Amino acid sequence: MIIEIENLKKSFKEVKAVDDLSFSVKEGELFAFLGVNGAGKSTTINIISGILKRDGGKVLVCGEDISVAPEKVKNKIGVVFQNSVLDKRLSAYDNLKSRAAMYGIFGEKFSLRLKELNDLLDLNDILKRPLVKLSGGQKRRIDIARALIHEPELLILDEPTTGLDPKTRQVVWNVIEKYRKERGLTVLLTTHYMEESAVADNVVIIDGGKKVAAGTPHELKKKYASDFIRFYNNLDKAEKVLTPLGYELRRERDFMEAELKGTDVIAGLIKKFPEIFDDFEVLKGNMDNVFLKVTGKDIREV
Amino acid sequence: MTEFKKLGALVSRNIKCYFKDKFLFFVSLITPLILLVLYVTFLRGVYLDSFNGIFKAYGFELKDNRILEGLAGSWLLSSILAVSSVTVAICSNSVMVNDKIENSLNDFLTTPVKGTTLSISYFIANFIVTLLVMLAVLAVGFIYLAAVGWYLTFSSVCMILLDIICSVLFGTLLAGVVESFISSQGGVSAVSTLVSSMYGFICGAYMPLSQFADGMRNVICCLPGTHGVGILRNHFMNDYVDKLMSLGLSQSGANSLKDGFDCNLTFGGKFNQIAYEGGTQIPVWAMYVILLGACALLLAAYISIVFVKNKRKS
Repeated sequence: MIIEIENLKKSFKEVKAVDDLSFSVKEGELFAFLGVNGAGKSTTINIISGILKRDGGKVLVCGEDISVAPEKVKNKIGVVFQNSVLDKRLSAYDNLKSRAAMYGIFGEKFSLRLKELNDLLDLNDILKRPLVKLSGGQKRRIDIARALIHEPELLILDEPTTGLDPKTRQVVWNVIEKYRKERGLTVLLTTHYMEESAVADNVVIIDGGKKVAAGTPHELKKKYASDFIRFYNNLDKAEKVLTPLGYELRRERDFMEAELKGTDVIAGLIKKFPEIFDDFEVLKGNMDNVFLKVTGKDIREV
Repeated sequence: MTEFKKLGALVSRNIKCYFKDKFLFFVSLITPLILLVLYVTFLRGVYLDSFNGIFKAYGFELKDNRILEGLAGSWLLSSILAVSSVTVAICSNSVMVNDKIENSLNDFLTTPVKGTTLSISYFIANFIVTLLVMLAVLAVGFIYLAAVGWYLTFSSVCMILLDIICSVLFGTLLAGVVESFISSQGGVSAVSTLVSSMYGFICGAYMPLSQFADGMRNVICCLPGTHGVGILRNHFMNDYVDKLMSLGLSQSGANSLKDGFDCNLTFGGKFNQIAYEGGTQIPVWAMYVILLGACALLLAAYISIVFVKNKRKS
């Protein structure tokens, strides 16, 4: 295990930010850590990365306790923060140089590492420019380069793609995936985009500082998410047929949706009521549904 | 060794952050220069009249107006440099506060760099930046003195440089201690405004201490900043007073000039319009001891704050 957290507790005055949280992350996996704003994700990440002190519990990173061997642990962690924390007026090069120095990377060693990151992230055109003049996507590439500058074993991504356009989000993910596969990097991710968590090896959902669900995306979807059938035609007919059968229907302008109790019932319904099935689609339950079911909150609205 | 290299990298980064913020640099530099212009424009005449009043009282007639202008300029420059060493230090320490506001500090906390290295880097960078700004102001001041009347000797110039280093050390440590507790831009503005408006008065830079009520003068004499002003006053003005004595100003006239314009800081006693009666005159070496002693206390406070903060975080 690269991260082992047991009974972690952290309070800010009366507010319990993290309340008896336990989970573990295996080496090399992409681990998604989900929760609404204020659920305790950032607090947990700040404790793992050594920014905050815990009130209680055990936190081991790469087998070491950060409060006992902070330098050892910090050498193995790279963090991409929700908002860029680099120096806006300094050039990307100066930012990377100053941060590399904190890990004892100077001179030739820094040049070599920068070249590797340049190959990975295509930084050439932006290295000499001040951060304040870079686009959101370019800044993110520099943030990732900064987090990887010391070749960490664990990369913590705190909502890395929030505020980025879909194309840039894809570019960011491609880079992370490529690096992860090449180097066997472990990634701990928090995100508001549920489709990003769907590709994770394991997911933990927290609410009010407590773990409320955990498992692989498939396990979670199987346990918490229902499939849906969506009708685009014969809506009144479908309503008449399905309401007496106990289906809860949600009607929108162009379609009507019904939650299915298992995909196996569809074949029976089609056979029995073919007249309502001339324009429809079956939607698999996704991580959005899992999140909604588990926390009772829509992650995009909170 | 690596920790020293990290410290060097951090100091370099902090200095770059300061100079890349053109507005911050401009404000730090322009404030003392504006003060110089305002002083020369509005207060020069007042001091020239005061000096002439003392000369008249001792029956001394000065024919070379350059000495008088230079003497007034020296008094004004010593005031500005003493005040600016604190106000500029507070302003330029904003890199430390910005790191808290913009969460850059969190980024550093995820690295293996020690908290003490980080804190020392802010102090060293602020010391270098403030010193550079002060030297720029000093250069402008020397150009002004050269234009109106230069009588400073090489040894006085060296002592002035030493005084500025001591004053900047004091200002930087004071800024480090005060701004350790600030984590918002509003806080920085509030402290800057308070210090800018108050410090000049409570260190006797804006007005000669001889003009204060005796009780107030004694209180101000106990503050270390006053002695930062005192050493600068002595090294800026002594050569001018010596020149005046060589032209015929009596010893008592010279003493009166030094008493009235704070070269002779006096604790206790009474100022009788022209010179101190009684009281203990504080020698220049004692002014250094008080100023550097205050630096040592501030350093101890700064180290304690850093230590407590690191302990809380670890």
